[in-house]
Amino acid sequence: MTSTPQLKVAVDIGGTFVDAISYDTVSGAITVHKVSTTPDEPARGVLGGVTGLGAATGTTIADIESFAHGTTLGLNAILQRNGADVGIITNDGFSDLLEIARAAIPVSHMYDFSFQRPAPLVPRRHRRGVVGRLDAQGAEVTPLDEAGVLAAGRELVEGHGLRSIAVCFLHSYANPEHERRAGAILREAFPDVQVSISSDLTREYREYERTSTVTLDAYIRPVLNNYLDSLERHLDEGGLEKPLHIMRSGGGAMTADLAKQAPLTTVLSGPAGGVVGTTFLARELGLDNVLSFDVGGTSVDSCVVVDGQPSEVHEAEIDGLPLLIPIFDIRTIGAGGGSIAWMDEGLLKVGPRSAGSVPGPVAYRNGGTEPTVTDASFALGFLDPAAFLGGAMEVSADAARAAIAERVAAPLGLDETTAAASILRILVARTVGALREITIERGLDPREFTLLAFGGAGPLIAPMLGREMGVETTMVPRVPAAFSAFGMLMSDLEYEFAATALRPLDDASIAVLEATYAELEERAEAVLEQQHVPVEARRTTRTLDIRYRGQEHALPVELEPGDTAESVLARFNALHEHRHGHAMAEPGQILSVRLRAVGVQPKPPLVRIGAAESAEVAPVGSRRAFDVATDAWAEFPVYDRDALLAGHAVAGPAIVEEGTSTTVFFSDQHLVVDDYGHLLISQTGAAA
Amino acid sequence: MSTPTERLDGATVEVIRNYVVSAAEQMRRTLVRSAFNPVIYDVLDFGISIYNAEQQLMAEATGITHFLGANDRALLEGSRYVGIENMAPGDVYLLNYPYWNGAHAYDAMLFAPVFTEGGERPSAYLAVRAHWMDLGAKDAGYVLDSTDMHQEGLIFPGTRIVHRGEVVRDITELIRFNSRLPDLTLGDFHAQLAALRVGERSLHQIWAKFGIEQVEQAIRQVIEHGEAIARKAVEALPDGSWSATDYIDDDNITDDLIEITVRVTIEGDRITADYTGSSPAVLGPVNLPIGSTEGIVKATFKSLTTPNEPANAGHFAPLTVIAEPGSIFAAEYPSATFTQWSAIVATELVHKALAQVLEDIPASSGGDEPGFMALGRDSRTGLDYVVSNNEGIGWGATRDHDGGNAQQHPSQTTVRNTPLEVLEHKAAIFHERLELIQDSAGAGRFRGGVGVLREVRYLDPGEVLSMKKKSKTRPWALEGGQEPEPSEMVLWPGTDAQQRVGMYRAAMQPGDRFVNRTAGGGGHGSPLDRDPRSVVEDVLDGYVSPAAARDVYGVDVRPDGTWSETTARTTRTAPGTN
Repeated sequence: MTSTPQLKVAVDIGGTFVDAISYDTVSGAITVHKVSTTPDEPARGVLGGVTGLGAATGTTIADIESFAHGTTLGLNAILQRNGADVGIITNDGFSDLLEIARAAIPVSHMYDFSFQRPAPLVPRRHRRGVVGRLDAQGAEVTPLDEAGVLAAGRELVEGHGLRSIAVCFLHSYANPEHERRAGAILREAFPDVQVSISSDLTREYREYERTSTVTLDAYIRPVLNNYLDSLERHLDEGGLEKPLHIMRSGGGAMTADLAKQAPLTTVLSGPAGGVVGTTFLARELGLDNVLSFDVGGTSVDSCVVVDGQPSEVHEAEIDGLPLLIPIFDIRTIGAGGGSIAWMDEGLLKVGPRSAGSVPGPVAYRNGGTEPTVTDASFALGFLDPAAFLGGAMEVSADAARAAIAERVAAPLGLDETTAAASILRILVARTVGALREITIERGLDPREFTLLAFGGAGPLIAPMLGREMGVETTMVPRVPAAFSAFGMLMSDLEYEFAATALRPLDDASIAVLEATYAELEERAEAVLEQQHVPVEARRTTRTLDIRYRGQEHALPVELEPGDTAESVLARFNALHEHRHGHAMAEPGQILSVRLRAVGVQPKPPLVRIGAAESAEVAPVGSRRAFDVATDAWAEFPVYDRDALLAGHAVAGPAIVEEGTSTTVFFSDQHLVVDDYGHLLISQTGAAA
Repeated sequence: MSTPTERLDGATVEVIRNYVVSAAEQMRRTLVRSAFNPVIYDVLDFGISIYNAEQQLMAEATGITHFLGANDRALLEGSRYVGIENMAPGDVYLLNYPYWNGAHAYDAMLFAPVFTEGGERPSAYLAVRAHWMDLGAKDAGYVLDSTDMHQEGLIFPGTRIVHRGEVVRDITELIRFNSRLPDLTLGDFHAQLAALRVGERSLHQIWAKFGIEQVEQAIRQVIEHGEAIARKAVEALPDGSWSATDYIDDDNITDDLIEITVRVTIEGDRITADYTGSSPAVLGPVNLPIGSTEGIVKATFKSLTTPNEPANAGHFAPLTVIAEPGSIFAAEYPSATFTQWSAIVATELVHKALAQVLEDIPASSGGDEPGFMALGRDSRTGLDYVVSNNEGIGWGATRDHDGGNAQQHPSQTTVRNTPLEVLEHKAAIFHERLELIQDSAGAGRFRGGVGVLREVRYLDPGEVLSMKKKSKTRPWALEGGQEPEPSEMVLWPGTDAQQRVGMYRAAMQPGDRFVNRTAGGGGHGSPLDRDPRSVVEDVLDGYVSPAAARDVYGVDVRPDGTWSETTARTTRTAPGTN
């Protein structure tokens, strides 16, 4: 037991907390340390988390085997609109593309006839067009006016004092030459100015989305680069010997150097950790269909993971602004712990307003007066006021009950218990509906999924949801509150390269695209080399995005050696049939080619926890709580998660406490602990 | 009908309501997932509704704004034609008879009764309408000049297309032999069918979970609730009667302006939109069936009362729509109805009436959806192409902010334009310019949004269809704001053949160009009252020219951003003192 710990460390900066987690690959021990974020100097919070871990495990930064980091810094800069002042250089006659956008109104405002979109990220006076034009095949129609590029740069940099420039030209996905030339001119003339080039970030067509992508990159580049420089410096001083890895939005990680070159790829890395963790568990445990169920204060996020593959998309949106980067298809599907219950002309509604962290739920006594989902959980005995967050926070269940009695029970003419239970029933009804929607749109049945619950309030709500939705198993991983950080530990180094390549799907195209793949592979090799990935750990996967001619939507088909147009089309037809319910007789068309390059990282195997001698385990206490299976109060035995060993089984109703989260299940459910310490909850009497 | 059960508590009702709304949403996801044509999955040209046994709207999932509640009347008319007593479990009916369907003939509505196990009469109904690609109208693509219904495609009045779960092959074969695009059309039929099946399954799940009586009672209370909040919202509006008039360009057969007029009356908790006095039905295809007229009023009504709630029958209870049978707003057989741009223009007419009394109503947007279609053969591929684009317009200013720049018309807010890189790939056309138009906004204390200019050159022979019905008269302004220039397309600009057109079809040769200009929004208040700093910002951003700043807004803006007021400002009567 005294062997040197082999620590993999991940640090996840969220809105209010920094989660630092370490996993000892020898003993399987997981250590979590939480500290507050330090918005004035974010790197300090990260170091605080790492130092805390060191104190808890008796190690120093120099002992760290691998270091993965996810940050919402770029995201926050966009959401709070406090990124850099950016200038845009584009084609002459097209400098308004960013503002014209797709001209659509967000669905949430579709009946608001005085809606006004937020001001564009770059005001019109900071957008310049220069002469030069390519056609849809990437052929030059008008040569680039190089003097015009320089003049535009001079106006933006010297005239307007801008320090970050985004360059996007029409059809640059097909031919990046004009953009590269413009970038070189600008970098040479203005060495202190950051320059972002659209074709470096994405080689996909659609000019507004590409312009938005490169603009967002330019917008967060100064912020993120300063932060990463500072963090690296601090970690260096602390003696970190391994490279710092930064999480990508689409899973996987990259070195900090690469992150500085493409800051935008980090922007949605926060929730990605949870999906990577879900995928890891799905693969390790052989689960075919898993729904990640991440419950935070204001929302529930979910991603569909089928056959060990998380759903991915190549376009995301932040605050209505599109970005063409590969990302997990994570859907925000409803309300969270802070969602407010309110009366609307006699009907009880839950959300969409949230009490947030300030004032927070009524029970926190921070000035909140409107009852929330968390308050209902206190009122029903699911959460223990005395032990909430390990006793770190003083909460009042009485205050929660009083608010529910006054604001929900009285107007509904219900007793306080039924009113509190109703708040959760509504939350569950909405969430069940939303989960059905995101599975059915992929042609899948939600009952065939394992629900993997994490985030602070995930384990509290998931068993209730699972019984309503009819899933076979609801699973609670170890340290559910820090599961996103756990997921980051399991990341490979990943990079994706893509190029739009509109061509008919025929053997001639497949042959021609061999050269494109060769070029992408060359770029991939260079990146993996730069990230110090040993040759034997390098993997590449070729994918073609295919669609029927005349259609807009494409589906990714993985290429196998020896593929012909016929075999690719057959697989595409099958995929289309599965995803859309039908195949068509139309010829196929190739939209883009993709290459995923992976540097496989050594991952800790799941470590078995100690085995129980018998299925029985003694509770550490009990409390009265509301049993939703019988609609009655019952005595719920309370178990300490740390005392649960592999093979222990508990019949509901019962509660499992573990400091930062609470699992509650009911009298028609039971729990077993698997070999790795996961809690598996299913309906009693249901077929296994 | 089942006996009314006890009233349910407001929490149980909300739980059941959530499941029913989700059923509509699951139908929508299924339709979008399985549809064959982009008009459904990209343009969202569809409407999905769930009704109770009394054919009252329980929940819906809309695509386009003015498709709101479009299925309501169609279901009533279709059921009357079929006879409810003739419906059997598993049946599906097809309706596209425009005067019942409330849309043109290519919007095909499927409706299905849903029975409980062993039920004698339907306990619910489902409806899914979607735009079909071709049903054999006189021209391929789009019809701009039909003069009666029989030039607009094959008509189904509520035809049983699925009988007890089996697709009726005689009907689908009839469609196959009458459509220029049979695979796409029947593909979309099957997508609609899949959505109906998902809705049916969801309803059975909900009935099994809560029991049919409890669900019916909950829906009664949901509809009561919808009615209560809608009435409360109407009650908050001032009583009175206001009318407004506007013009649609013409019917595409003659050049005459078409007058449209509405009188909106609010009395307590009821509101009436009466189109009496509008033009009689016209020869060309811009006539609106009454269901279509109701749809546009419902969208405006919803924006005023319950913008954030999924619609149910209660929400529309306070609303009455009146139009004289045989007028342009209540077209009768055999009036042509294919080109429903008139519905787009008419959308803001109710606003115009209410703007006389409601302060929050914005001035007119650019007034129309002034897009275009291009078709031809691409010599690069040898393939025929048809592409279309919905262009943004400026929106109207309000009393406290400028109108949005380049946004889709209020009747179709969620529709998107087509990326030019996609257009240039699919079609043999080349863009010379795509930008916002300086000084296109209606000036005002708050100005309208600005419009969009698109200049396109043809690379191969082809055609252009200019789509717009508000190019001859200006969009309206409020409180002394200025009216913007209307939308237009200029064909062959800078040549001897230069021609300004509204809705128009033209043949194009290689090198031929068109410029499509979309209108800005109407202004609100006098431009002389605009905050001079806002005028300066607009000049620095180029939304307003220095000349317009000086002549219209009374602000002299110098290139360095310094400014001074002109005499027009300094000598005017101060606001509020007249």
